[in-house]
Amino acid sequence: MMATSSDTGQLRPGIWTTVNERYPGSMISKPDTVPLATLRKPVAQSRLAFVSTAGVQPKGTLPFDVVHPVGDYSFRRVPSIAEPADLEIHQLKYPTAGANRDLNVIFPIERLRELTDEGMIGALTPDFFSFIGYNMDPERLEQTLAEEIAEAVVAEGAEAALLAAA
Amino acid sequence: MQRAIERRGIPTVSVTVALDVTEHVKPPRAVFVPFMMGHHFGVPFHHDLQRRIILTALDRLTMAERSGDIHALPVTWAQARREGVVIERAMGIRK
Repeated sequence: MMATSSDTGQLRPGIWTTVNERYPGSMISKPDTVPLATLRKPVAQSRLAFVSTAGVQPKGTLPFDVVHPVGDYSFRRVPSIAEPADLEIHQLKYPTAGANRDLNVIFPIERLRELTDEGMIGALTPDFFSFIGYNMDPERLEQTLAEEIAEAVVAEGAEAALLAAA
Repeated sequence: MQRAIERRGIPTVSVTVALDVTEHVKPPRAVFVPFMMGHHFGVPFHHDLQRRIILTALDRLTMAERSGDIHALPVTWAQARREGVVIERAMGIRK
């Protein structure tokens, strides 16, 4: 069933409008869709990349600039073999109550490894990708960060990608 | 971002808690869960729910028939939290 915002229980309805009023022009609205790419092999034989806006990064890497007025357009690589204890979150714009107790609620790195070990996912890319969702210039985001991460996902040999926008 | 990856021939699916935002951005495929921001894969230590959300999303890679598909998972935040409490009690980390 196709979900629409008029008939489902989003906990904070109207986020798009609210954010766009607070930060005019920051929210992306596309008039069209992009053609679907085809999965060439079953998921159980495919290499999966994970991309997150959660601001998760390996401890010791340059923290995301969470106070810059127009945002941080860089990304961090998170090895898919990393343990949650080796990762930390630099991000202000979403509640981290759950993630601080179990990182998998926003960055399910352990669940993805389990599913791979069980053969339900073919493999994981060596690196996952993480950035912060606070980016107030959507054109710049599309022209720089989105393209850089897409190129990096290709370079990792990904055959499918799972994304989560925190 | 998701559209940029899809354009390179790699099928993509995202998990979202903000359905109105997703309707505006029009990613190729999405799964909607009615959870709190920052809790896209559920609640702490609820491995079954975390796995179910991932697997539902990956199913959409083959099931979604047209671009812009948004699939709603039949779950509620209240139910997820209740189950999380039961799990934490069983783990001995909550009274």
